Amino acid sequence: MRKLFLSAIFISSSLLAQDNPINSNALTIIVPNAAGGLMARYARMIEPYLEKYLEMEVNIRIMTGGGNIRGTNFVWFAEPDGATIGFTSIPSLVLAQFSNSPAVQFDIEAFSFLGRVSTEPRVLTTGKQSNIRDANSLLAMDREFIYPSQGTDEDFFTMIVLADALDIKLKPIMGYNGNPDTAMAIIRGDGDGQITSWRASLASINNGDQIPLLNIGSEPYEDFPNVPSVLSYARDDSIEAMTAIVEMLDTHRGFFGPPGLSNETVNYLREKIFLALNDPELKEIARQNALPLVPSHGELEALKINQLVSSESLIMPILESTLDTLR
Amino acid sequence: MDIFDAAISSLTLLLTYDVMLMLFIGVIYGLCVGLMPGLGGIVAIALLLPFTMGFGVIPTLALLLGAHIATIWGGSVTSILFNVPGAAKSLALVFDGHPMTRNGEASRALGASAMAALLGGIIGAIFLALSIPLVRPVMLSIGPSEYLILALWGLSIIATFSDGSMLKGGVATCLGMMAAFVGMDPITGTPRFWMDSIYLLDGIYFPVAMIGLFAISEMIKLYVKQTSFVERVEGRETSTLLSGCKDAFKHWWLVIRSSLLGLWIGVLPGIGASVGGIAAYAQAVQTSKNPEKFGKGAVEGVIAPDATLGANEGGGLLPTLAFGIPGGESMAILLVAFLSMGIVPGPQMLTTDLDLVFAMVWIIVFANIFTAIIGLAISPKLSKLPRLNPNIMIPIVLSVCLFGAYVTRGYFADMVLAFLFGIFGYYMDKYKFSRANFVIGMVLAEMIERNLHISLGLYGDFFIFTQPVSIILLVLLFITTALSLKRKNNRSKEVNV
Repeated sequence: MRKLFLSAIFISSSLLAQDNPINSNALTIIVPNAAGGLMARYARMIEPYLEKYLEMEVNIRIMTGGGNIRGTNFVWFAEPDGATIGFTSIPSLVLAQFSNSPAVQFDIEAFSFLGRVSTEPRVLTTGKQSNIRDANSLLAMDREFIYPSQGTDEDFFTMIVLADALDIKLKPIMGYNGNPDTAMAIIRGDGDGQITSWRASLASINNGDQIPLLNIGSEPYEDFPNVPSVLSYARDDSIEAMTAIVEMLDTHRGFFGPPGLSNETVNYLREKIFLALNDPELKEIARQNALPLVPSHGELEALKINQLVSSESLIMPILESTLDTLR
Repeated sequence: MDIFDAAISSLTLLLTYDVMLMLFIGVIYGLCVGLMPGLGGIVAIALLLPFTMGFGVIPTLALLLGAHIATIWGGSVTSILFNVPGAAKSLALVFDGHPMTRNGEASRALGASAMAALLGGIIGAIFLALSIPLVRPVMLSIGPSEYLILALWGLSIIATFSDGSMLKGGVATCLGMMAAFVGMDPITGTPRFWMDSIYLLDGIYFPVAMIGLFAISEMIKLYVKQTSFVERVEGRETSTLLSGCKDAFKHWWLVIRSSLLGLWIGVLPGIGASVGGIAAYAQAVQTSKNPEKFGKGAVEGVIAPDATLGANEGGGLLPTLAFGIPGGESMAILLVAFLSMGIVPGPQMLTTDLDLVFAMVWIIVFANIFTAIIGLAISPKLSKLPRLNPNIMIPIVLSVCLFGAYVTRGYFADMVLAFLFGIFGYYMDKYKFSRANFVIGMVLAEMIERNLHISLGLYGDFFIFTQPVSIILLVLLFITTALSLKRKNNRSKEVNV
């Protein structure tokens, strides 16, 4: 169904030639993440292709700070003329808002979602030292599941909702120094499991240091099709919250615009971005740079965010109870 | 493939015109980046990465690793000559490197620095090859409680810089730790001491604080005193590069110890190279027969951190290649480069792909040799810079510092903060509160906070007594600190007599 929807959008976008509604010579893309990081590298790789399809100058402006909040606030307050948009991890914005961070000045619902660039399926893994071997032994655990985490990122929030959905007693241990440190904790046996992208854990899985337990996605991961989806184990009354989290993770790296953009501008940007991301030359460059593209049209992404926001009342109590315990 | 065959075959891969050219370009580029305060190896690799497409695996690795290794020595140069740590990891070089410059021994300090980094790089590479079977057990036996003890060990050197008043030394350290607490707490992400400013939500950016505390405060001092950096009455540089190089060989045991420390700090993903430099300095002070000379221009204070930094990069390669777990931030960027070149990290790297591992080991060795040769060649010119007239020197150094403060993140506020730290550093120096203690507190605070929290969560309140490796490290910490304090006490008694 989704593929059909995407194809319809793609065909219609190819057929419909529109005038540029952006009243500016240049488009500025705010990247609220670190210079030299993955997000910045993606932005710079895509920049010439956006110029090609938008037929205007495109500038990348790195604006780090406040855990991605500074740059996002900047986009929030930007003029809604289409000359300024943002590019970042959409789940991190959603969670920044959900966690009631005092620095957040935006409302995620009011942003215009302009298209996804890529997404990386995620996985819950355990270490060889743990006595957990598969999803069933995870569910049969009669002790706390020790979850080493670097902080309150999207994987941490996902784990909270997942633990609630599977009735696992969770013991988060916070403060690890990034994914490498949590991976070592799992391999050493200090922790029971971690959620990462499949790509980040692939080397450890292949050499037997980590075991994949659950695929955090609605579709099987192609290299490990037998790893079950988390949705197939979730309790009936929690499946909606879990689905919303899975959809949120699926939005991943994407473009967003300030509130108040006209429908004409939003449609124009969505279509041009989608065309640029499907450029065969860009796809080849992305492959060579190991920066995979998984484009999705902005309209579909907006639907996912709306679904997530409408599940806020289900997710928030779960997150708040865990955060209160931690604090 | 056995180790010897792999070592030989990888060397033949390296000794080609294009690989050597790429290595040379990488080293020159790395030295230029390293000389800019605030920019380090991570920035150097991140900027180079897009230009590596289309090259082969070995030339690309030569370019990236060459650039990364050269930045380290570039950072040491600015620490020694101008009291400006080029990057956080070069911090320990300001403690004795700059006092040597002020004593008219800039050439000796640069010679010792280049040679120690070279020896550290080579020793690190040799032990890297020998350590391959040990990597896994060591990595698995060191956890958060051991990291905590290592951080506390780093703190134990504050006594060295507390000349005259331990109270002032302690106050400076506490202030540094408090500065590190600004921003989001690393455990729950709760903002603290941020004064409703999004700028402060990220915390005080360490390179900016260093630039202010050491470099800008020094410029303010020069302006007030209207003198050059060099305080010797004769005003002549009497030391030579050769004497510095000889010093590195004279202190061969310190070089070996520091190199091994650097190698293993690189292997462990929970410890940064900035902590490594301080730890190397700490062990140099605590094992020295003349600890009172540290902080005033002891050449050992230059040799130890440089040897550690030289060996550190090789260490970082091991977990990156063997586990796919990067040993540091720069290794994380290298890991991306590996994946884009089709190199898949894993245990097979240490068995079937051993020639590739050795190619990287050789690249590290050659990069260190190139850096040392070029460094020693340009050192005579560099060592004259601190003697410039302050009216020329102050605007140049201030411009470079403010540019360095701005360029990393593009914040105007970083320049303002650097200047405020400059004023703060000037008054700290004037009233004899150690700036070194302040930054040591700042560097180690987060490591202590993180690992204390993790250890309590994992092992309970009495975690130290349940972890055998921690107990051993704690006993070593007490012994080395007690010996160091006893020596200091004996020496002050001798002086009084």
